[in-house]
Amino acid sequence: MRLDIRYTTRFRYGAPVAESQNELRACPATDPHQWLVHYHVTTTPSSRVTSYTDYWGTRVDTFGIRAPHDVLEVVAEATVETGPRPDAPSSVPMQALRDQAFMDRHLEYLQPSAHVEWGPSVGSAAQACADAGDVIDVVYAVHHHVAGFEYRTGQTYVGVGVDEVESQRAGVCQDFAHLAVAMYRELGIPARYVSGYLFTVDDATGADSELDEVEVETHAWVEVAIPGWGWLALDPTNSQNVGERHVTIGRGRDYDDVSPFRGVFSGPREHELEVTVAMRRLAVEPLGERLAAEQSQQ
Amino acid sequence: MGDLFDDYDREGFFDEVFADPGVRTHYQGVVERLRRLSPTDLERRERIRDGIFRSAGITFTVYGEDAGIERTFPMDLLPRIIPAQEWEVVERGVAQRVTALNRFLEDLYVGEQAAIHDGVVPRWLIHTAEGFRREAFGIPVPHGARCLVSGVDLVRDHEGTYRVLEDNLRNPSGISYVLENRAAMTRVLPVAFAEQHVQPVDHYGPMLLRALREVAPPAAGEHPVAVVLTPGVYNSAYFEHAFLARQMGVELVEGRDLVVDEHVVHMRTTRGLQRVDVIYRRIDDDFLDPVVFRPDSTLGVPGLLSAARAGNVTIVNAVGNGVADDKAVYAFVPDLIRFYLGEEPILPNVDTYLLWEDEQREHVLDRLDELVVKPVAESGGYGMLIGPAASGEEIEVFRDRVRADPRGYIAQEVVALSRHPTLIDGRVEGRHIDLRPFAIAGESVEVLPGGLTRVALRRGSLVVNSSQGGGSKDTWVLEDDADGTGGR
Amino acid sequence: MLARLAENLFWAGRYVERAEDTTRMVDVTYHTLLEASPDVAAQTWEQLLEVLHLRGAYGPDPVDVATVLRFLVLDPGNPGSITACIARARENVRSVRELVSSELWEAINDLHLALGSRDLGEELDDQPFSLFRSIRRDCMTIYGVASETNPRDEGFRFMALGRLLERAEMTCRLIDVRYGQLEALAGPSQRLLGAHAGPPGLARAGQGADRADFHHWITVLKSASAFEAYRRRYRASMDPADVVEFLLLEPDLPRSVLFCLTGAMRQLEALSAGRASRATRLLGRTTASLQYRDVSDLFDEDLHTFLDGVQDQVAEVAETVADEFFRHHPSGMMHAIATG
Repeated sequence: MRLDIRYTTRFRYGAPVAESQNELRACPATDPHQWLVHYHVTTTPSSRVTSYTDYWGTRVDTFGIRAPHDVLEVVAEATVETGPRPDAPSSVPMQALRDQAFMDRHLEYLQPSAHVEWGPSVGSAAQACADAGDVIDVVYAVHHHVAGFEYRTGQTYVGVGVDEVESQRAGVCQDFAHLAVAMYRELGIPARYVSGYLFTVDDATGADSELDEVEVETHAWVEVAIPGWGWLALDPTNSQNVGERHVTIGRGRDYDDVSPFRGVFSGPREHELEVTVAMRRLAVEPLGERLAAEQSQQ
Repeated sequence: MGDLFDDYDREGFFDEVFADPGVRTHYQGVVERLRRLSPTDLERRERIRDGIFRSAGITFTVYGEDAGIERTFPMDLLPRIIPAQEWEVVERGVAQRVTALNRFLEDLYVGEQAAIHDGVVPRWLIHTAEGFRREAFGIPVPHGARCLVSGVDLVRDHEGTYRVLEDNLRNPSGISYVLENRAAMTRVLPVAFAEQHVQPVDHYGPMLLRALREVAPPAAGEHPVAVVLTPGVYNSAYFEHAFLARQMGVELVEGRDLVVDEHVVHMRTTRGLQRVDVIYRRIDDDFLDPVVFRPDSTLGVPGLLSAARAGNVTIVNAVGNGVADDKAVYAFVPDLIRFYLGEEPILPNVDTYLLWEDEQREHVLDRLDELVVKPVAESGGYGMLIGPAASGEEIEVFRDRVRADPRGYIAQEVVALSRHPTLIDGRVEGRHIDLRPFAIAGESVEVLPGGLTRVALRRGSLVVNSSQGGGSKDTWVLEDDADGTGGR
Repeated sequence: MLARLAENLFWAGRYVERAEDTTRMVDVTYHTLLEASPDVAAQTWEQLLEVLHLRGAYGPDPVDVATVLRFLVLDPGNPGSITACIARARENVRSVRELVSSELWEAINDLHLALGSRDLGEELDDQPFSLFRSIRRDCMTIYGVASETNPRDEGFRFMALGRLLERAEMTCRLIDVRYGQLEALAGPSQRLLGAHAGPPGLARAGQGADRADFHHWITVLKSASAFEAYRRRYRASMDPADVVEFLLLEPDLPRSVLFCLTGAMRQLEALSAGRASRATRLLGRTTASLQYRDVSDLFDEDLHTFLDGVQDQVAEVAETVADEFFRHHPSGMMHAIATG
């Protein structure tokens, strides 16, 4: 599936801001399941944007603005092509998780992190899923546990603890992703937080749209490491496997490693913030067929 | 008539000055001189010394003390002397260590991580080290000089063997005492000093400045601008920051004096912005750049890491060196030397037990009253257990701590640190000492002759840290052709 | 040099001067009110607080001599108190110790420590004159040391500039206090006699002062260290207009407003060497408008308003200096943002 994405962050400050320095993580990754065709960042006021790939493999755009401004607008435009993902393997024994080399390789995704610090309530919720069967069964048991929660905005904020999400049985995508990651780690299943975009008409259900244009928010889901197979991506918010309508930006231990926008500015603290994501589905042939067609022409 | 050293008792320790037949050769000249001083002479010289230090305002701050936050770091009148051949080994050993650690850190942050892939250091150990900074990945440092300044702590054991205790690769302090001690000694004991042909230390400022310029980014051009970045006047080492800026003739700046514009660092001057190429920062990693690290930090410079990553400024010491200061990672440094340099370590470590290994941990827990236990991420002598001096209660506290967090501690055999005669209330008594040589690694590694000798002033104490009631000694490394007797 | 350090030196100069001039004003006010009625005294102190822009900070406490003296001399909660000014001067110099002579640091530090260790409350009750005298002398020692131990570099010039601008403002205030006192002494009934005539003590240029005022004007001149110079110039005549003109416009009197402004101009020109500077233009305009002012006219107008105007212009110069040299790359509190 080919998608045009336009991510916009707009700050309106209470008074002119003389300086701001920022990092943006909004660029779709290129990996076996998706291919970045085009990406461009513009800022208003304008600035020199430089990019690097961080420790987690995410592209980061950094920029600073040193002319007084009331409004800062950052627009990231991307065109990305996504493909289908393979189904999970049928059976992987639990003891495969205890393999030393496997654990060592995934250590960072097995330990608590800033937003994934869990207590007894998450611990026991996770343990209740432990006897579901093999690794795949356990992974889906956790997935369905979290997917059963109510999607509710305005109740939480980044920084809410996973135990609170568990007890409220409600939250938004970030909360569900953090909770699922915590439960997986509790069970010794390496899990990471994924930041991205989802083409949908409804953030709560993740339903597809009849139209080719949607307005969404940034999205978050999880990936778990399946021994001997690889990373399996699951979207607990929408109770679905991650598919062609999901566009990955980056992965990390939790939100902090992939937060789309972070920075500092000087001036009065008051500011209004508006983030919009516009996605457009483009009618093109699948990549494989197109490449084949191009080759046959030559 | 008796003299200063008549009642001196080595009490079974390795003594820097006295050996079995008598005074070691390289101390003979100085001991001879001191013997001729009357108690009144000594008192007068101590007064001169006190005056020099007071007027220079040489102070440091002890955290956690409420009264009078500034203290002086008292210098003992009896210098520590190291003969040239002995120093040559220390110098090579320190340079070797710093070279290997630079290779390791460079490989870790911008390289292949060969030491991890080849199993020299466990991956998990690196990933759980408090000083490991993922944010530093990919930030280049010219010549790989990540530890441009290091202050490797050495001790001598009961046989007089120099061993490495800590590497101090982040912001080692104390160099100002080295230079001020020397300046004071040449005034307090000028004749004794002049006789000994001591290697000079006063070129440290130019030496540091040259190295800072060597690591300037290529974009800097012919005359790179270096600055010293301090957290401010309330920092415990502010005196040293100001001292270093003065020694090098560069600006002493605070974070608010710097500004990043289009990924280039500038300082705010009365005539506008001036480009800065190299920052010798004396601010911890976590406070350097609020965009990347602690967002509430006001000490740092927003956008600094982005500028460094773009190759427009060099941060000295590099971000993330703390990973190698982890005391458990320290245990692997001899292996890192073998791995990266293909050499045997010249200076051995102190024997260290890794407590996540069941066997070592149980062994340690059985012998807590004989060992030293240290938290892996602390420096400055804070938070450690000295078994032989600890109460049963303290030992039990550490037993619980080690059990709860075996990765968080290491244990070491107690080193019977060498002792040195020291003036205590007009008498000479033996006190334990260590040595912190300062190495500067720009294009190549250079070690300042001598370094800071710290003295545990309390009788029997093994803790020499300034924060724990330590003093210091001027440290004399003799010229090649000098034998310490005063002749040539 | 670093803008922050330049600003520190500028303010060190201002704060020492402010401490000294506040001492001078408190001294002269105290002196002239020794025999005044409590009402008149209260009104005069009230006016002094106004002139120093400290009336708000003073709060609801009764305005009596003991309370006001403590407030102006040793109250750490009053940013304008003499001890607070010295403390702030010291803080500013502390952060630029590398840039000034050790003697200068010691002089400021010594004064700060001495004020901290003395029982100033008791001295105020006991020997206010000798306390004021010693503070004045210590402040002047600081300038002397600064001037005799520092090269005439950028840092020195910023300190001198701060001091001169502060003094220009404070001399205006010193005259203003005196003017206010005369209003108070005149009382409401007499003030009705002529809306524009000013208080009787200032009466008209050329009319001379009456006997009671004679003594008070001497005190004002003394408080500006100008009495001997005035007497040499005007002999025994004590005309209020002459006194005001002397304190405002005498080009060779170190505390006259004109002297301060021309001195500040010299520093500013050296500092902006060759650069276009709005601060220099503003200061030039202020100086020129003062120079060509006929002081006798001032008594037909409102002297108080005029003095306020001069102070405003000097404040604008200082603000412009800050913009041009210290804050040309503004910065403020940093706030963190992290968003989805």
